[in-house]
Amino acid sequence: MKKINDLENLAKKYRRDLFEKLLVIKQGHPGSIFSMIEIIVALYHGGFINYDSKKNLFLNKVLISKGHATAALYPIMRDFGILPEKEWDNWGHKESLLRVFGNISIPGIDVTSGSLGHCIGIGAGMAVSYKKSGQNKKIYVIISEGELYEGSTWEALLFAKHNKLDNLSVIIDINSLIILGKTRDCLNLDPIKDKILGLGINALEVDGHNLSDLISIFEKANKNGELNCILAKTVKGKGSSVMENKKKWHYWNPMSKEEIEKTRKELG
Amino acid sequence: MLQRDVFIGEINKYLEKDKNIFFLSADFGAQALDELRKSFPNNFLHCGISEQAMLDIATGLALEGNKVFVYAMAPFLALRSIEQTKCGAGLMNLPICLISVGIGLGYADAGPTHYTTEDFACFRSIVGSSIYTPADTATTKLIANELLEKPKFSYIRLDRDALPNISPEITKIDLNKGYRIFGKVNNDKIVLISHGKMLHKCLEIYNNKSDRFVCVDILRSKPFPKDLPKDFSSCRGIVVVDEQSPSGNLSSCVFEAFSEQNYFPKIISKSLPEKYVFENGGREYLLNKFGLSNNDIIQACEKII
Repeated sequence: MKKINDLENLAKKYRRDLFEKLLVIKQGHPGSIFSMIEIIVALYHGGFINYDSKKNLFLNKVLISKGHATAALYPIMRDFGILPEKEWDNWGHKESLLRVFGNISIPGIDVTSGSLGHCIGIGAGMAVSYKKSGQNKKIYVIISEGELYEGSTWEALLFAKHNKLDNLSVIIDINSLIILGKTRDCLNLDPIKDKILGLGINALEVDGHNLSDLISIFEKANKNGELNCILAKTVKGKGSSVMENKKKWHYWNPMSKEEIEKTRKELG
Repeated sequence: MLQRDVFIGEINKYLEKDKNIFFLSADFGAQALDELRKSFPNNFLHCGISEQAMLDIATGLALEGNKVFVYAMAPFLALRSIEQTKCGAGLMNLPICLISVGIGLGYADAGPTHYTTEDFACFRSIVGSSIYTPADTATTKLIANELLEKPKFSYIRLDRDALPNISPEITKIDLNKGYRIFGKVNNDKIVLISHGKMLHKCLEIYNNKSDRFVCVDILRSKPFPKDLPKDFSSCRGIVVVDEQSPSGNLSSCVFEAFSEQNYFPKIISKSLPEKYVFENGGREYLLNKFGLSNNDIIQACEKII
């Protein structure tokens, strides 16, 4: 496993890479992507997603249920060599394999997502399959806090708990913003932790931008032998003062030269 | 015997040799399912009364290479979870088989929440789906075996009631073709096209006057049998009978298939009306009241004449 300092540098690098790419394609969801960068860096580079270099694939699964942010995985796939460098370079051109929303035709992307509220159920199906076939694989499902509004999220959690799916971890990216504003103002979701605990499911809280804490919590979740929900407190648009905690940066927005330079400097 | 027991019975037989099957139910039962749960508990998943999660769970299982059958009452499996079906089986082209029970007014007198009079239109709009509507147990058995051998994204529309067996019995050639014809085709005859329960009404009419009618059982309505229009290109006229609401039912498939191949016979659609049915009285009473009695169908044929 890499040192925490190295992981922090990787997180910065991925934010920079993605910012430059979004700047070119002028679309995408920077706020949601930047809020989950440390989570995926901890998973992929912190030793939780086993990489089989001979087969050039990951043995464990990561399902990005908040499909508008799947693009966060593209530079990771590129760096592992799963996604050809030329595909990354090509992103933004008409014939590119990469999309704003991920799908299973993209190397390293395990699910086609975009419509919210699907992936806990999909992950639960995979988890059942692994358990019944004796495969020692894990599934990490990253959902947005906004997906807690979807009934299918809770249906799937009930199923996962009942079936004791200890090979499934649900990571809730809680950046407290949805498209129209703060969740507590639009339709209050709090207290999220109590609602998860009410289902009898472990609820582990963590600073979603602290790599050391994220790695500790993933280790803890792996050891406790239960289904876990990890409540990661994050900042939408993390890393750019132009974007941070601003609802409009759910989507890409035109930027002035000054804003671009400021963001580049902050992400540096 | 109920179609559902036949279908699940075939799965039970298959499970003896292939354990790579998952059967998911949204709290919907059958005698044969009791047997499956008893004999193959590891292959059964109760998903709660949660059709949406059930389809997502099925997606995860199918992504891992399992054969997956999901099972629920028709109105809820077809409509409640249709977006999950689109995003899973549809977008990712997964071989999930949806077994839907109680199509049409099958759940008379439960009322319109339990009637399934729009599932055909909804499902045929989902890209990549295949749709089967068996009219008897022999057909149900053949469809089940085909999907067990070669799983694909499919929607199976089963009747709630036990339907009479049809003679002569269906053959595998019929199923491959997607339809079977009762009677000899000639230019003077009117063609009755239907599937499921309504096929039996058409068969009654045909059996009474086989010199005037030909009857066609559409076994697989999607992809629609491409050879069918050519077989009836010069017939006197066609009446399509479907226990569905007027928009997008089986007649739409027939209209589209014929016009795509530049055949333009007179086609009349006999379906339920554009209204929700709240009356009691049982399925036959409701069918008679809302335009799907044998007499209604014969009157439609007379319009052609």
